[in-house]
Amino acid sequence: MLDPVPEFLIPCLFAGLSLFRLSVWLSRGRWQMPEALQLIWIFSLIISVAEYLSFHWALWMLALYAFFALREFFSLVDIRIEDRFGILFAYLSIPFMFYLIHILWYGLFIISIPVYTYLLVPFFVAAGRKTEGIVFSTGVIDFGLFFYVLCMGHIAYLIYFSERMAALMIAAAVISGVVLKVLIRRPFVIRYGILVVLIGCLYVLSSSWSGIPWYHCIALGGLVPLLTCVGHFTLNKIEDDLGIRADRLQPGRGRMIHSMRLILFTAPVMFHYLRWFLHWGDIQ
Amino acid sequence: MNLLRLLLHVLVFRPLLYLIFGIHVTGQNNLHSLKNFILFSNHNSHLDIFLLYYTLPPSMINRSHAVAALDYFRKPAWLYRAVQFLFQPIWVDRTTYAGSMIKEIEARLKQGHSIIIFPEGTRGQDGSLQEFQAGIGLVAKRNPGIPCIPAFLEGPERSFPKKAPFPLPLCNHVTIGPPQRLDGDIKTVTFRLHDHLKTLADEELAYRQRRPLSPGKPATVSVIGIDGSGKSTLSRALIRHSSGESCFVGDSLERYHDGIPYPAQPLVMNEIRQWMGHRAKHAENLSGYKIPKMAELLLRDRLLNEVIRWYRPERIVMDGSPLLNMTAWAVLYREQFFNASMCMKTLSVLTGNRKLKKRDPMLKQFPELKILNRLHLNQLHMPDMIVFLDVEPQLCLERIQSRGEKLQAHENPEQLAKLRDAYTLVCEVLAKTHHVLHLKGDRPVKTLVQETNQIMENLQCKPLT
Repeated sequence: MLDPVPEFLIPCLFAGLSLFRLSVWLSRGRWQMPEALQLIWIFSLIISVAEYLSFHWALWMLALYAFFALREFFSLVDIRIEDRFGILFAYLSIPFMFYLIHILWYGLFIISIPVYTYLLVPFFVAAGRKTEGIVFSTGVIDFGLFFYVLCMGHIAYLIYFSERMAALMIAAAVISGVVLKVLIRRPFVIRYGILVVLIGCLYVLSSSWSGIPWYHCIALGGLVPLLTCVGHFTLNKIEDDLGIRADRLQPGRGRMIHSMRLILFTAPVMFHYLRWFLHWGDIQ
Repeated sequence: MNLLRLLLHVLVFRPLLYLIFGIHVTGQNNLHSLKNFILFSNHNSHLDIFLLYYTLPPSMINRSHAVAALDYFRKPAWLYRAVQFLFQPIWVDRTTYAGSMIKEIEARLKQGHSIIIFPEGTRGQDGSLQEFQAGIGLVAKRNPGIPCIPAFLEGPERSFPKKAPFPLPLCNHVTIGPPQRLDGDIKTVTFRLHDHLKTLADEELAYRQRRPLSPGKPATVSVIGIDGSGKSTLSRALIRHSSGESCFVGDSLERYHDGIPYPAQPLVMNEIRQWMGHRAKHAENLSGYKIPKMAELLLRDRLLNEVIRWYRPERIVMDGSPLLNMTAWAVLYREQFFNASMCMKTLSVLTGNRKLKKRDPMLKQFPELKILNRLHLNQLHMPDMIVFLDVEPQLCLERIQSRGEKLQAHENPEQLAKLRDAYTLVCEVLAKTHHVLHLKGDRPVKTLVQETNQIMENLQCKPLT
């Protein structure tokens, strides 16, 4: 890990949001917790656990989060009874993938899903012995695994190297979510420009806190908004197809998937940026 | 025991169900402040009862009874004991009169206990709501003071459906509707309760994503008759009068859009079939004709799959039908065994709907069937509509000669008359179960097309199975 000095800001944020969450629960439906705060609450918990207790505990919390997201995704897509072995295999790949992160075997982690899992999923789907719809089912399972296991795994690696970078990524995602929602009627260039300014400032101002050189902060200030915009656009279209409606989100009907749409594209690219350009980590 | 049951439900089942099946309950407040009730829901899975117990207030767990089929849970003994302990069910013996069960339900309700009932009677297959049995109406009518509460379960039919080997972690939703107190006869009460649950079901199922529909199976029309009866002419005329994408499969393969021909992507299967058809046409005698013609027919049937796959037509009109041709042509080679029962049996064997036993006499009479079965070539297409053009053999021969074509091995008055009778018999056999149109072929094509189109308009594309 690269952050030697414990950070108090994130646990304080978690404590404040927990109090707010408690008051929402006590209000019996009169108040609602905004979806952006939901994401901050979960990740402030995970990052705090990683910082003060153990990275491994945080890792398995993230694995549980990935399981919930994958479960919600599979609940929303039209699956066949013959896909059960493929879906079971997809669920079983979660502990396997997170165990690879646990033992820091990055080489196998990064190829497990694109190579071995993508070869085995069609086999397990085909084992259902119903030909019609096999391509759709395989695509659906592969899609779920890629986004909700592999991309989530990258968040775990990001937290392992620097909780502060992970926190910055979540902050950037939340800012993007708010800006994209507020300026929904503005042209893309204006929204992107505002995001570049806001997130660029965030990264540059926190340069000494996060330990990233200022010129990389400027580069990330351009890259992260682009990725969040791409993720927002892509996953919004996918959510439309899944029948998720932002105005009536419910647990199990897209609330978790919707809240994650801004970080799924950002996490892997950001991790690889830091790994290749800043040479973070000595993982194999 | 009651404390143990309560602890098991609250401390073991509820967290496990939440963790694995992500249960989300809407309308739970409809259960609060009620002393007792009749909770009824749709039934698609063994998970259903766990989900309903999940929604109950803890104080109700020991005072609720599910209605369960005794024959299903009687064996093994451990299952019976487990169900008895966890859900304290009111057992229904489906083989005897239900009166004792109704009395037991009433007794429990009078004690202030609640009843959980699945009015559909048994688990459904596809998650759709089935008709209710009259039992729920009877119970509701005889206990007018007890509210009936509809609960719609969405998810168990996918998490653990009937015939599934194991449950899958997927999100489940329970929607509890407002309490109902109904008046009227048993049938009306049952119908209205079904209606309440149906309303909840329609709202809940609207969330579902549906995968794109698979391309429909095109309607297939086969024009059959002896050579020279005008099959090709009528087939092409039919296609020219049809709208949308259609294909003609005859001596050539042609593609039409709104009745106008346009070039079709060449198919290798068609080229092979045409070459084989050419070989058959130039055979010197019937025995030399048999093998290439049979191969051509089998290839023509396979070609249908290719046409459906690559061209996706809404309608296919065929000059002849491999299945019916093969069946009728048996008359030329095994006339002594050719009869209505043989036709029926052959048709069901060649369409894969029937398997012949090893010692079936038919296999001796028609050894070709044995070969086709061994080669798994017994899945031939049955057309959705058959048009039989009935023309005198003499007229057919005159037509063939007027075209200047060389007569084939079987094209003589005697053989053509036999074939005509054979086609008539095949059509008679099929007329009971299929659309068969018997047309006198010596009339103008326009009249024939009009008569055929009236029936063809009712043929729709069907989903592939």
